[in-house]
Amino acid sequence: MASFRAFWNSPVGPKTTHFWGPVANWGFVAAGLADMSKPPEKISGNMTAAMCVYSALFMRFAWMVQPRNYLLLACHVSNETVQLYQLSRWAKGQGYLPQKKDEAATQ
Amino acid sequence: MANSKLQALWNHPAGPKTIHFWAPTFKWGITIANILDSSKPPEQVSYAQQAAIMGSGLIWTRWGTVITPKNWNLVSVNFGMAVTSMFQLARKTQHDYLSSNDQQGEQAASESIEDQ
Repeated sequence: MASFRAFWNSPVGPKTTHFWGPVANWGFVAAGLADMSKPPEKISGNMTAAMCVYSALFMRFAWMVQPRNYLLLACHVSNETVQLYQLSRWAKGQGYLPQKKDEAATQ
Repeated sequence: MANSKLQALWNHPAGPKTIHFWAPTFKWGITIANILDSSKPPEQVSYAQQAAIMGSGLIWTRWGTVITPKNWNLVSVNFGMAVTSMFQLARKTQHDYLSSNDQQGEQAASESIEDQ
């Protein structure tokens, strides 16, 4: 209970803007995960690349901002991972990356 | 006089030598990507991704006005995200569900549902 109370009243807790903004950004991670099963033709190279740069910059931002925001950092680390994966799927689909053995034969 | 003002901006704690400047500035990339993608076929638009951009954009637009100091850069970039994502969502919804050619609309709708 004491730790919950500490979280509840924390300067970066759920009563503050430092909490809900980062929570909203988890939507990007959720969307990225939901789109993992989509065919690569449906991935937007523009948007995924933009997300990769965006999350890389905001990982640093979350670390340097006062107060340091670990929730935002965790969100952007996750998003960076998901978006890089989606970007690799898109790139393979476009023929930019070498594909695995048998697929390469059809190219 | 102009020199010292420029210098003040250059050396500002949230200025161009810091992440506090570049991270929000680069966030415009998301809005620009959406503008570039506005001419792509609606089948390629992702409901989940655009909804996430809209949600995040709207929340951060509001919070940008609530924090101290008010950060208009943050407000404007997130407002841009919200507007472009709503445009993409409207485009895709119209194509999938409100298309005048019913057959085409149903086909597209079942296509996007299958993929999700």
